[in-house]
Amino acid sequence: MFDSVKSTIEGLATQKYIASEDIATTIYLALKMEKPILVEGPAGVGKTELGKCIASALGMDLIRLQCYEGLDESKALYEWEYAKQLLYTQILKDKLSAIMQNESTMAKAVERLSKEDDVFFSNKFLLPRPILKAITNKNKSLLLLDEIDKSDSEFEAFLLEVLSDFQVSIPEIGTIRAETKPVVFLTSNNAREMSDALKRRCLHLYINYPSRELEERIVSLKVPQCGEKLRSDIVRAVHQIRELQLKKEPSISETLDWAQALVILGINDLTHDVAVETLNFILKYEKDIDHAKKHSKNIFVH
Amino acid sequence: MGTAQDTSAIQTKIYEFMDVLKDATINISSDEVLSLFNALPHISLLDKSIFKQTLKTTLIKDFTDIPIFDRCFDEFFAGGDDAQVDVVNAFREMNARDTVRERTGMSPEEMAEMEEALADFIDGLPDEMLFERSPEEILNLLLDELAQSESAGGMGQMLFNVRNRNRAATGRGSGGEEEAGDMTDIRNALAALIDKRMSSKKIGTQIRDREEYLLNKPIYQITPEEIREMRELIRRFGQKLKNRISLRKKRIKHGGIDIKRTLRTSLQYGGVPFKIFHKDRRIDRPQLVVMCDISGSVNQYSRFMLLLTYTLQSLFSKVRSFAFISNMVEITPLFMEMDPERALNSIFEDTSFTYGWGSNYGRCFDQFMRDYSDSLTSKTTVLVLGDGRNNHQDPGLNSFIRIRERSRNLLWLNPDRKHLWNWADSIAYIYHDNCDEMKEVNTFLDLSEFIDKLFLDL
Repeated sequence: MFDSVKSTIEGLATQKYIASEDIATTIYLALKMEKPILVEGPAGVGKTELGKCIASALGMDLIRLQCYEGLDESKALYEWEYAKQLLYTQILKDKLSAIMQNESTMAKAVERLSKEDDVFFSNKFLLPRPILKAITNKNKSLLLLDEIDKSDSEFEAFLLEVLSDFQVSIPEIGTIRAETKPVVFLTSNNAREMSDALKRRCLHLYINYPSRELEERIVSLKVPQCGEKLRSDIVRAVHQIRELQLKKEPSISETLDWAQALVILGINDLTHDVAVETLNFILKYEKDIDHAKKHSKNIFVH
Repeated sequence: MGTAQDTSAIQTKIYEFMDVLKDATINISSDEVLSLFNALPHISLLDKSIFKQTLKTTLIKDFTDIPIFDRCFDEFFAGGDDAQVDVVNAFREMNARDTVRERTGMSPEEMAEMEEALADFIDGLPDEMLFERSPEEILNLLLDELAQSESAGGMGQMLFNVRNRNRAATGRGSGGEEEAGDMTDIRNALAALIDKRMSSKKIGTQIRDREEYLLNKPIYQITPEEIREMRELIRRFGQKLKNRISLRKKRIKHGGIDIKRTLRTSLQYGGVPFKIFHKDRRIDRPQLVVMCDISGSVNQYSRFMLLLTYTLQSLFSKVRSFAFISNMVEITPLFMEMDPERALNSIFEDTSFTYGWGSNYGRCFDQFMRDYSDSLTSKTTVLVLGDGRNNHQDPGLNSFIRIRERSRNLLWLNPDRKHLWNWADSIAYIYHDNCDEMKEVNTFLDLSEFIDKLFLDL
């Protein structure tokens, strides 16, 4: 476990994740207070990556659940293995009739059978899905609920029990409580607003595009072959491009792609012409590229 | 933080800050307050940026509120780069409190009650007073008010006690001068408390007032600088509107039977379709056709209308927009390709809208029916934004009526005051009688309210 904001930054750095002080503060507090973290921010700033890095930095098991529209309890929480149950009843047919042999009436037979209910609705036939897995895991685990905004509001509602009490209720068995509380990490792209109830239970973290200095460090870490000058040129250009009014701003992953591409092309200097030719690595719309080209004289000074 | 006194000073400070946030219309629930105080022991208060992030991460759950939070924080905790200065400030306040307590001999409960009364009094003051009067003046005002209402509950009683105690002290013959000094001390201390309370109240109020002012300002009076200032505001406002509407749209279950899923699940039961699954019914998102007059007299409105429409684009299943002066041109592709702001600017630079001179509604409606009538379906809501000043030309009523017949509803937003609707070359009432509703819009709030209502009626 991290024991200060500083050690959080260092811990994440060992996983090649450069965290700002703000990010580290929230992570540190969430871990200390055992609260879920809700991370929002534009696409491609490393929200999911952050979750993965926390898990590996602290040696936790990463359990990931990608949310989507129509995701329901049977996919996220648990499911009874009906097929297995059926199969077992078939196999145990003889055994069952042996047990019920002595019962004279139908009613008594049913009563007798219902005493065996537990056999069929026990952990043996329970298929744990990510959330239940995270709760029952002996090791400390990190439950990454990716793109929670894509799920339905019903799904959000039953998440509440997990988020506040770290427990899951299964009608046939009862409530399963976590022995080692998992770290819950939610990411959202703001496709829809999360309910207040959910937000209240979480610490909130908004990750924006990083500062120039931070982004340069990220590039140097992820694309170490990239020379210092090229690196600072790339990052400066990207930051200036973000200032333009574009349909889709380049995010960190695009910066990294660009740096990688330029290194592969064996380019050491980001000259105006090179930059304009490779703009398609960071901009994804034709009009955005045109727009950037129009301003290229100011953006690429070399 | 060491002693109990330190802690309580910081607590008071934080509660005051939360009041500032509330004044700036950020809602904070008790859960969040609780988690903030749970978080504080884990961090060092002396590191200001960590302290700030702690407040932010526990209190602010809506990222659109972050800019407001930042401004409130920076103003409230101004005065130094580290929190140490702020702690010192908190102590200065404590001193003022101590002075009052020592000189009056009030119990801590009485003190708390008095401070609450002070806060109430200041909350009750109209905003202008907050900005114009000095703390001393406010104090006098408070004392005057108390003097007038002798029976003024706890507060009056307390100050009455203060006076009595002071008199008793004089009675013991401890010298008039010292007594006068006492009173000034108390006055100063009270004024300091009031000052503190007022300045923190100002921060939040200022932000809120500025926003309300901009949102309520008649659109045609908004200056270019203010438009720039409003950009962020519109984005935030649009986001909130979006959130509200998307929460309101509850998904309705029970569409048709989902055969695939039902069959797949039935396999678990040996082919017996035990559980029947229904398809979710799709949310009925409205289709929108926006026609904006962009001639000089109304282009400011059109600008806002289009901006708002495209901020909310994800709420509509389909938006097609057209701009016209005397020529109708479809501008939907522009918005597909670029950021709304930039798209808008390129529209207003374009000249293909003018054919002849001035707005010609009739010609444009005819043109619309001829070229773009495929955009109309029974689900389409048509919005026309314009002042109906047709420059004495043919109103094109036939086409207008056909537009109404072929769409779900036809609404008209008119930036002109209602009493001007038939004035000069305006033929607003001709259109008024032939559309579902004509509404006067003046401010940005009018516009957004209108869009909000659009979803209620569906």
